Amino acid sequence: MSTANLLNTNFEDESDEEDFNPQPQDASDGEDGGEDEDPSAQIRDEASKRRVEEDNGSGDEGDVNTRAPNDGEEDEEEPGDDDEEDDEEDEDEEEIAGPKRKRVKRDRRNVFLDVEAEVDEDEDEDEDDDDELGEGKNFIADTHPDDLADLPAGGETDDRRHRELDRRREMEASMDAEKQAEILRQRYANKGRSSRGLGESDIVPRRLLLPSINDPSIWAVRCKEGKEREAVFSIIKRIEERIGTKDELAITSAFERGGTQSVMKGFIYVEAQRASDIMAALDGLMNVYPRTKMQMIAIKEMPDLLRVHKTPPLEPGAYVRLKRPPKYAGDLAQVIDVTDTGLELRVRYVPRLDYGLHEDLNAPLDGPNGKRKRAPAGPRPPSRFFSEVEAKKRHAKYLTGNPQTKTWTYYGDEYVNGFCEKDIKIQAIQVADVTPTLEEVTRFSSGGDDGTENIDLNALAASLKASTANASYLPGDIVEVYEGEQKGVKGKAVSIQGDIVTMAVLEGALRGQTIEVPVKGLRKRFREGDHVKVIGGSRYRDEVGMVVKIAEDRVTILSDQNNSEITVFSKDLREASDSGGASSLGQYELWDLVQLDPATVACVVKVDRESLVVLDQNNQTRTVMPSQISNKIEKQRRGAVATDRGGAQINMDDNVKEHGGEMRTGKVIHSYRTYLFLRNPAQSTNAGIFVTRTSAVNSVTAKGIVQASAGPDLNSMNPAMKRNPAGGAGGDMAPPKSFGRDRSIGQTVTIRKGPYKGLLGIVKETSDNNARVELHTKNKTVNVPKDALAFKDKLTGASIDPGTRGGRGGFTPRGGRGGFGGATPGGGGWDGGRTPGGDTGRTPAWGAGRTPAVANGGRTPAWKSGADGGRTPGWADGSRTVNPYDGNRTSYGGGNRTPAWSAGGKTPAYGMSNDAFNAGSKTPGYSGGTSGGDAWGSKTPAYQPTPAADNWGSSNHSGGNSWGSNAYDAPTPGAAMSAPTPAAINAPTPGAYSAPTPAPYSAPTPGGAPTPAPGWGGGGWGAPTPQAMDAPTPGGPQGYYAAPTPGAYNGGMPETPAANWQDDGPRYVE
Amino acid sequence: MFFVLNLTHQVTLHPSYFGRNMHELVTHKLLKDVEGTCTGRYYIITIMDTVNISEGRILPGSGLAEFNVNYRAVVWRPFKGETVDAIVTSVNGVGFFCEAGPLSIFVSGHMIPSDITFDPNATPPQWTDNEDSVIQVGTHVRVKIFGTREEVGSIYAIASIKEDYLGANGCILMMLQKELARMIPKAQACDF
Repeated sequence: MSTANLLNTNFEDESDEEDFNPQPQDASDGEDGGEDEDPSAQIRDEASKRRVEEDNGSGDEGDVNTRAPNDGEEDEEEPGDDDEEDDEEDEDEEEIAGPKRKRVKRDRRNVFLDVEAEVDEDEDEDEDDDDELGEGKNFIADTHPDDLADLPAGGETDDRRHRELDRRREMEASMDAEKQAEILRQRYANKGRSSRGLGESDIVPRRLLLPSINDPSIWAVRCKEGKEREAVFSIIKRIEERIGTKDELAITSAFERGGTQSVMKGFIYVEAQRASDIMAALDGLMNVYPRTKMQMIAIKEMPDLLRVHKTPPLEPGAYVRLKRPPKYAGDLAQVIDVTDTGLELRVRYVPRLDYGLHEDLNAPLDGPNGKRKRAPAGPRPPSRFFSEVEAKKRHAKYLTGNPQTKTWTYYGDEYVNGFCEKDIKIQAIQVADVTPTLEEVTRFSSGGDDGTENIDLNALAASLKASTANASYLPGDIVEVYEGEQKGVKGKAVSIQGDIVTMAVLEGALRGQTIEVPVKGLRKRFREGDHVKVIGGSRYRDEVGMVVKIAEDRVTILSDQNNSEITVFSKDLREASDSGGASSLGQYELWDLVQLDPATVACVVKVDRESLVVLDQNNQTRTVMPSQISNKIEKQRRGAVATDRGGAQINMDDNVKEHGGEMRTGKVIHSYRTYLFLRNPAQSTNAGIFVTRTSAVNSVTAKGIVQASAGPDLNSMNPAMKRNPAGGAGGDMAPPKSFGRDRSIGQTVTIRKGPYKGLLGIVKETSDNNARVELHTKNKTVNVPKDALAFKDKLTGASIDPGTRGGRGGFTPRGGRGGFGGATPGGGGWDGGRTPGGDTGRTPAWGAGRTPAVANGGRTPAWKSGADGGRTPGWADGSRTVNPYDGNRTSYGGGNRTPAWSAGGKTPAYGMSNDAFNAGSKTPGYSGGTSGGDAWGSKTPAYQPTPAADNWGSSNHSGGNSWGSNAYDAPTPGAAMSAPTPAAINAPTPGAYSAPTPAPYSAPTPGGAPTPAPGWGGGGWGAPTPQAMDAPTPGGPQGYYAAPTPGAYNGGMPETPAANWQDDGPRYVE
Repeated sequence: MFFVLNLTHQVTLHPSYFGRNMHELVTHKLLKDVEGTCTGRYYIITIMDTVNISEGRILPGSGLAEFNVNYRAVVWRPFKGETVDAIVTSVNGVGFFCEAGPLSIFVSGHMIPSDITFDPNATPPQWTDNEDSVIQVGTHVRVKIFGTREEVGSIYAIASIKEDYLGANGCILMMLQKELARMIPKAQACDF
């Protein structure tokens, strides 16, 4: 009761301080008056009653106050109390206060209430004291002549006032002696007990006066919720009734800390020595339940009971949230006015009206009779500004008002400027944790007639600061204490528990220490240039930007996305660890091109939490939901081009400049039909995006230069190598044409890929690339690419190496093929080698086989070399055909051996040659005698000719066996060249020939086989078939031989008519 | 601030380029790949030389050869607090953009002295204090970097001219002149 009143009144009218101050003295007077033995409860009661009376402004001194006459004086002198100057008069005053306190200390029953009350008073009075300080100083100056006397004469002090004082003193002296005696007694009676350390009087008692175990205990007694105060009042009443009787209440005090928000509601607190005293005192009181369990308050918690939480005063302009009516629950409202009692507020908020749209049973009025039972049907109407037009449509009869002032009354509610204004009880609003978002607040600010936005950021800040609920501190945040004892301390948050932030101090004296700070005194600290991200409830959430300005706790950042500046509270910011903001919503990202409808495309220029802002091709921005977007248009291929005004090509990422207009420049990020979406990072609107037509821009990218400097792409095929031989030197020679019928005709094949994969058929016709295959399964002839064919043996069904399909059954060694594949990465080369020029590819063997000349010249090498001089090496490689077998030698061997080779197209040629060689090498003899092959490979180039020759020989005769034998014979170059050749040829050929597959073989190389034989036999190289020789060998062999193994060649040369070679060479070389 | 760094880069080469001039090609490719780029932390201004080119290693699958190239390069990293000279590229109501070499810098209106105001009616629009300090497109300004935003492959910075000796070129000269005049009274005669 009393305390509660006191506390309340202290806050409500703090200007009454001067009335209060005498009170402690009054209390002590009372005790001085010999009533020490009285139950102090009575005294308390008196005191408190008086306080209450004074609170009410009656200030009736005559009532209880025995010292009324002095009040005036004391009032005058009181300020001196607060000053800490120890002049005598002051001391006097203090002495009065001092002993009083001391006594209070001794009187245990008094101690508690006084202490607490005073402590609180002290706290609350601080401000007023400060206010009074100035006045008090003057006053002191007047009232301390002793001091003044010490001052140098003629100081700043005024003579007149001295005299005034003197006069007054005289007057006092002439006062009624009795009165004076009383004053003196009052002043000096306690002098002997005067306390020391007056200067500390503010501090020491506070600590010393805390309750101890010797003090009465406090019990919490259950009480009907909401009736706490009533209960306390009835206790007062009972005390008054029973005072002086034998059943006086033995309780010291009683108070309550009820209130709707209080955690202590439902209890009253009674102070007494024994619990039984309380039982007796409260017995029979309404709404109090002492018989239910009483809780004794622990001593250290006692002070907390009386701790005062200043409820923040609501001021006009502050933001609150509505709790009732339910329709507006959670809505933001702005305080317009506060009634004197502080219990009612006039607020304005954005109404949620449906203007009778959902007639009729649930009339959408939220009038004063809002309690009427209404089904909360459906979703509540959106909150929109009041529109009298809407209201007139259906509810004209409920609508009155003045269009001029924009003030309307609708269903009993007042609407001003679109807002609903209403008186609301404080219970129906939520004051704490309002956290208005800037978006909400904007509605309140933009409602002005002029449409200007004038957000009162200070009011907003006040509303926001009050809230600690969403204080979003995270470990690692740099924080600064901006109020409290540790004001100014900066540190880094280490951990956060509830409202307490543990921070490691980074600067100052406390550096290195860890302190705990309540959230409310903290703010995050940023520096200009910091890269931050907006978190929390702001509508700029997830924006990322750099701090450009800091004013108190408002931070202006420059958004990364669109170069706009936004201002948010520092509490809503956090250091951005990553650079990315929210730049995507679902599948749509910033700067994506999206299709809105068949005729409209747009570029995403802003990504919000639930919507996208897009700039369409007509240069209009609109906000769309992801669901409104039909699809995303993938960024076009690099090849997508447009033409600019001048007909020049515009590619993606080109810089273009508008022709005319604003002459904007930008980089092409999308082109869609005739529209270009350009981005100019320096532009702040639309995230730097703007749209133009292709015909309105000029490309400013210098294309030629870029291309020229680019040079070839070293990660892809050397273009120099790709050139066709037709193009001139350096290119590959086209594989020799195969003449005659395509050998694959009539073959049994399976189809390896495509829709007919796996089907068996017979090749009926062929063209260059395709074969028409008559399928076995159904009577149908289909076109199949030749490379999709796999040849099968007609009878056995076994796979045939295409290369051998010519019927050199003996060739089958797949190993050769393998070598092939490895050698020529590109299958094409291989195919090329195989199909048309199966023969050709097979070069040495085939060539040799076919045309004696070829056989002579060389072996595939011949034509290969024909391709270019350098290639000869190719041939050399070819000679290494062996390599494919080994697998290792391939490219590198080539490369090493003959630079020319490496320089000249490696692959195809190589492949070809390999092919050729493989084919050649495939000869059974080869395959069989792998060792032989190796031997070859290892052999010096000089050697090669021989093998080649052998090859020929063998291939001519196609006799694997013969070959083999030959091969074996062959190893010795000399032999191969001169003597053996004919022999070998002669001998094996027939057999081999006949042995494997005469027919096929004979088909392709019928002539060849025999021819060479004669050729060879005849004279070895040049003699028998001069022309033939000429043809193949010309350039190639020459070059080749000349280069790597001249000697070797020479060895052979003599036998070949040089003339022929020379003559023919040029032809081929070209 | 400029640094000379020893850096490493991986260059791949198509097999068709294998040959005697491979190192030449690799170096060429290195220059093409690296010079003038931004790593997100610094700009590689120029490559001084290659220190070492490793042996090529064939990458399985593609056949490309990979070379590790050690090279020395001059790099520039803009720092917070660094003062740079820049050329204004764009001016608008909230500030102006300028470029210091490859670096795009924004100077916010908050970071421009309050006596320099935006004049949208001038052609071209400019920030000016109606005296000797005029900031428009093309103006040479001296700015102090206040913050950088480092992204993959690019750097942005914001800067301030709200300090002594920052701002438009002419303005700086004036300031210097005044300063000199203060220090050496006779310097008034000095002509800049």
